[in-house]
Amino acid sequence: MNRRDFLRDLALGSVALRFAPSLLAQAKSFPDLAVIQGDSPALITKEAMAVLGGMKRFVSKGDKVMIKPNIGWDRTPELAATTNPEVIKTLVELCFEAGAKDVTVMDNTTNQAQRCYARSGIAESAKAAGAKVPFVNPYRLKKMALRGEWLKEWDVFTEFVEADKLINVPIAKHHSLSRLTMGFKNWLGAIGGARNQLHQKLDEAMVDLAAFFKPTLTVLDAYRVLMRNGPQGGRTSDVKLQKTVVAGVDYVAVDTLGAGFFEISPNELVYLGIGQKRGLGQMNLEKLKVEKRTV
Amino acid sequence: MKKERSKKYRFLQILRILTQAGFFGLFLYLLFDTHFTGKDYIGPVETFFHFDPLLALATSLAARAIFASFALAAVTIVVTFVAGRFVCGWVCPLGAVQQFFSFIFRRAKLLNPKKIEWQSRLAWKYYVLIFVLVGSIFTLDLVGILDPLSFLYRSFVTGIIPWFARTSSSFIALLYGLKASSIGDAAAQFFGTLSLNQTFRQGFLISLLFVGIALLNISKERFWCRYLCPAGALLGLLSRWNIGKVRVDEEKCIKCNLCSLHCQTQANPYPNEEWRSSECVYCYTCAAICPTSAVSFPVKATPEKIESINLSRRKLIFTSLLSLVTVPFFRITPAGKRASSKLIRPPGALPETQFLQKCVKCGECMKACPTNALQPALGEAGPEGIWTPVLAPKIGYCEYYCSLCTQVCPTGAIKELTIEEKIKVKIGTAWVNKNRCIPYALGTPCIVCEEHCPTSPKAIKLVKTQVLLPDGTVQTPLAPVVDLDLCIGCGICETKCPVVDDPAIYVTSVGETRSEKNRLLLDLIKPPVPQ
Repeated sequence: MNRRDFLRDLALGSVALRFAPSLLAQAKSFPDLAVIQGDSPALITKEAMAVLGGMKRFVSKGDKVMIKPNIGWDRTPELAATTNPEVIKTLVELCFEAGAKDVTVMDNTTNQAQRCYARSGIAESAKAAGAKVPFVNPYRLKKMALRGEWLKEWDVFTEFVEADKLINVPIAKHHSLSRLTMGFKNWLGAIGGARNQLHQKLDEAMVDLAAFFKPTLTVLDAYRVLMRNGPQGGRTSDVKLQKTVVAGVDYVAVDTLGAGFFEISPNELVYLGIGQKRGLGQMNLEKLKVEKRTV
Repeated sequence: MKKERSKKYRFLQILRILTQAGFFGLFLYLLFDTHFTGKDYIGPVETFFHFDPLLALATSLAARAIFASFALAAVTIVVTFVAGRFVCGWVCPLGAVQQFFSFIFRRAKLLNPKKIEWQSRLAWKYYVLIFVLVGSIFTLDLVGILDPLSFLYRSFVTGIIPWFARTSSSFIALLYGLKASSIGDAAAQFFGTLSLNQTFRQGFLISLLFVGIALLNISKERFWCRYLCPAGALLGLLSRWNIGKVRVDEEKCIKCNLCSLHCQTQANPYPNEEWRSSECVYCYTCAAICPTSAVSFPVKATPEKIESINLSRRKLIFTSLLSLVTVPFFRITPAGKRASSKLIRPPGALPETQFLQKCVKCGECMKACPTNALQPALGEAGPEGIWTPVLAPKIGYCEYYCSLCTQVCPTGAIKELTIEEKIKVKIGTAWVNKNRCIPYALGTPCIVCEEHCPTSPKAIKLVKTQVLLPDGTVQTPLAPVVDLDLCIGCGICETKCPVVDDPAIYVTSVGETRSEKNRLLLDLIKPPVPQ
């Protein structure tokens, strides 16, 4: 934008606001975060999207949508190592209702992909809702310029970049290095290459990746929360039933709120501090409009 | 005289080829179906091995055990008694492969059946059989090396399938190169679903053997079946009394010798009295090729005296003695003296001695393994353990909730385990190499092994450790420490370790549940951790 355009837009905007202040007010009227609690993963997901203004606010007619859950481990949903399949299914349905042309659900798993896709229940439920659930395709791996502060370039599965809309749907879990794995850490499943070497500066890597992928929306599945032994758990005793989803555009804010489920101060999550400093989002929830509901 | 080829036998010949193709297709189907298909338990994909009387006999002898599953071998034995080596000609998938290559080489004019020779070499396979069986009596189970089903399955798993998968990869890459991305995507997904293992340490060597066996068909049609196959030899011995014997009608015969020239297995239909029942595989080539329809296979209930292979008693005794003498040679190895650190067996594997007596080196477990972890052994298990499965954590790891390898083993060398049983089996123990481990050596965080450790609670703990850096400063990163009570030796830590060339955490066989000797501490045998 050059200076002339800027001035013109400024003038137009001032005029518009002068005569119709409701324009801005309306745009601001949606809450920044929806925090919905309830017994049904499907219903709380639906409600969260409704609170944020409906899926139509994010997905337009004819969009190609990519949903990125966490399907990293060969664990069943009760063990809370992978995103809740009903949350994924509901989001797929909402995307189609909003007019999406196609919806893809995909993750680069850690255990054998076939096992993770099947046993997490995600492949089945997402397919039932009409989504494509392919395995990551090594032929679509491309070295891309991430332009991060630490990660300059890395192998990325191009589908995540080429989608019109990208919805990040992590599950909230304990992690021994980044303390917690939620929205930021979930991006390690959208890339290939030697992912195990990113742990040497994991917080920086997570921020670089989140800034690169810039999701349209983040829906944090905290229906079951993995409190210990993360990120794959293995016992139901490690799992806390939180029955919540958190949705929002500001992915720093989503993870900040998520830290509360673990009684961890967001300030202890190094990556959030870096993320906020880089202007990716807001850690101070008091500055945001957080809508909490129970359904 | 009216010259006409027999339509009936031409039809039977075509039917035989179709049947062979059908059984080979079934073999391929079962082969490709042996992987995780979404369910914890897999169907009886290994059942075809149980129809093999040679595997049944040799393994029963070596393991001193009667296998209920091998009761199916009785079907083959009965068929052979009644109908001769019908199974070799119509059913055996390796027979079909030999036949196929013979056909190709004949078409390419590389194989010219001009003269009949090498009569005495037909006896080779009987000596191979005797060698294997006498070995088995002395608990040396070598049957898997030359058993046709083991040979074929192993060759496919470790050689042909990886070749196929890699060839397909090139084609898929080409599709993307030609901008046919959507076809490429579909193909890539298809291959993803098949989950074909592509990395085998001896893939090249085993492929070479397979190609060698195929190329031998240039020298003689169905070379393997004629001269080498011990299973064919066993069936040959059983086939003498069968009721479907060749008959050459002297009235019609013009003595052209085509039948004997083109006989796939040198059974010599002409002159009739020299026909060898033990060699005939009932391919019906002789009857179909005869220009005057003089050759037929009438069903006759009464057995008659027929020509068989001249097995010299002297040579039989010599072979038996040779086998007997050879057995100890296979055991001049430290393998029996002290457990090998690299000899990590799949979960459910029997104690080493019993394992070697039962394993037929077929490669079923290697096909079923979801992570490509199971590899054919070369030297790890001594000479008798060649091509038995070894878990190589540098290549793949044992998937925590998977017990497929235990379910597909045709001989129970790997005991069938439920998932609940399997996760309690320890196949080895992980060790941290602090000289190479990133936190210990560089003071840099890593935790990758801990993150992947599947047990709950984790067998890899992270402990703050003081590390002296080259500049003299001290760092206190979290560094991995293995809890030996919890570690099951699955090896995912080694597979995923970012120290690429020689992982800084590695698994050795010590502490494996199956061994009483290969243990670390006496008190390591504890009741399983309550879940």
